[in-house]
Amino acid sequence: MQSLAARIAALDPSAEAAMQVIAYFDELTQRHAGLEPVVRGAATLTGVAARLVDPVRRVRMRVTADGRRQDSDAPPEPTWLSAPVFADQPATIWLETQPRGSLIDDLVLQRAALTAGVVLTLVRGQQPTTRVGIECALTETVLDPHATVDNRLTAARQLGLAPDASARVFALPRGGATIAPPDRAVPAEGRVGVGPATPVLRLPESAARARTALRFTAEGTEHDPGPRVVHAEELGGLELLAQALGPDTPRPPDLDTLLRASAEAPWMLATLTVFAEAASLRGAASRLFIHHSTLQQRIEHAERVLGWPLREPAGQLRLALALAMRLLARPEV
Amino acid sequence: MTLTPPPFDPELAAVLAASGHTSIATGITPETIAAQRELLLDGVASVAELSRDGVFTIAEHTAPGPAGAPDISLLVARPRTAVGPRPVLYHTHGGGLIMGNNRFGLEPVLDLAEQLNLVVVSVAYRLAPEHPFPAGLEDAYAGLLWTARKAASISADPERIVLVGGSAGGNLAAALALLARDRREVEVIGQLLMYPMLDDRNDSISARQMTGLGVWDSVSNRTAWDAVLGTARDGEVSPYAVPARAADLTGLPPAFLDAGSAETFRDEVVGYAQRLWAAGGNAELHVWPGAYHGFDTFAPQAAISQHAMMARGQWLARLLGE
Repeated sequence: MQSLAARIAALDPSAEAAMQVIAYFDELTQRHAGLEPVVRGAATLTGVAARLVDPVRRVRMRVTADGRRQDSDAPPEPTWLSAPVFADQPATIWLETQPRGSLIDDLVLQRAALTAGVVLTLVRGQQPTTRVGIECALTETVLDPHATVDNRLTAARQLGLAPDASARVFALPRGGATIAPPDRAVPAEGRVGVGPATPVLRLPESAARARTALRFTAEGTEHDPGPRVVHAEELGGLELLAQALGPDTPRPPDLDTLLRASAEAPWMLATLTVFAEAASLRGAASRLFIHHSTLQQRIEHAERVLGWPLREPAGQLRLALALAMRLLARPEV
Repeated sequence: MTLTPPPFDPELAAVLAASGHTSIATGITPETIAAQRELLLDGVASVAELSRDGVFTIAEHTAPGPAGAPDISLLVARPRTAVGPRPVLYHTHGGGLIMGNNRFGLEPVLDLAEQLNLVVVSVAYRLAPEHPFPAGLEDAYAGLLWTARKAASISADPERIVLVGGSAGGNLAAALALLARDRREVEVIGQLLMYPMLDDRNDSISARQMTGLGVWDSVSNRTAWDAVLGTARDGEVSPYAVPARAADLTGLPPAFLDAGSAETFRDEVVGYAQRLWAAGGNAELHVWPGAYHGFDTFAPQAAISQHAMMARGQWLARLLGE
């Protein structure tokens, strides 16, 4: 039995072949087929691999010409044949071929897009088509370094960002990210990593640095003292430290020592954090709401437990690094 | 009471819709057999296509037919990369025992052979109504004997012969398993029965549900059985013609059976598997939801067809210990 594609190819690109294509997708719609059969239909009817990419609903599937599901991380080539699934959303059906003057290709794309639109709306539901959902998806596309330039610029435009605009990324806990104009205020609540302002096409870079900055933020409690907001541009060499150290890397000895010391005295972490940031012992004492002689005693105790001096520049740098390492070694936020 | 048929799988339904027909090979009568024979052979692979760009060496062999009958023709596909003797898929083709040739339906069998580097022998047997039972089965049996005895000449392992057939070919494969057990002249190690045609009674719920629908319905099936057995039959039907009527299903080699939930043979296939288990046999049964008869040959790309072919390949790999 010949494959359907071969049988259709053997025909003229005539009304009969067109009828077959239309009947195929109509039947899928009537039988409430899922998405994969639609993509498989596009692939097997044209004899080339087909893809459906819908960033809004996080759908990304690929089916080869012989009907096998074989997803790919590689982005679609901008020159491939494609058709939008919706007029106002970025979902797209792709055929992995350059335009080759085939009427059947065009018809299949059109019918597949139509069918996929019905399935996406019915099966994947309304929730992701809310404005917030679309924005999340568009943001994801703009920040995806593997997305094509065209897709990123289109998504940026839909977010209201001109191709020559500049913007920055706010990295938020649990993988969240917001794209903002350079002059927008940092969100007033929660931990925020702030990326540098960059042109639209370099926003993936801003996002990466914002996520690094987010790792240096803290809850600001006694157990997790530190800043709520961190700007990547102010990290300096600490950005490099972030590459070397994470929750899964072995702990350097100074970090071990710091954590042991913190377990011993509940005030230790908060006191050392404020002391490391403050310009003077007196300034630190007032921020901690303790008398400066109390702070003096705490620092002397800390020097004994840690085993290095804290009141001279070299020891202060060592303390600052140990505190930074503590932040980096926490589980991902 | 009217019976509601199970719905077709969406992809299989789409392929059927695109074919421009509402059903295929349904409603065949004695008068339309000749026309159906031509339709069926339209698009059957040529010998050149079967070689798959040199994956297989294709040869035609002639073997002695049953006593007093003409010689039979065997198509042998040998994997070119095989060095020593390899297991054999002995293939009996489908077509209701009234249509088809030994290249019909061979592709899925070659897929299995290609995966596991197996030899395929496909037998051309005489068709009803010109040649009613037992002509076709005895031809197939003669080819099986030749395969076992001449195995060395085709680089085949005579101790690892698996019977394979779809539809009417499944009927012959099941019947050959019974004959091999009873005549003790040849040993087979497995029977791969793809949506086999097993029961001439043709009155199961699935047969009634699917009349006029999908592929190969109870009307075509009646025509085929009448051609094979004659119209004036009663309870005295040979179990070798109708494996579902065999009283004794003990001592048979491991079986793989499948069927679509939306085909006329569904219930007789499920029933045969149950009787194999009841007889202490080894059987694996798959009912593919929404599949019509021969679904994997009409729509090999459909997800359900891919799963069916995978299941057969995995059963075969386990059976052969490879």
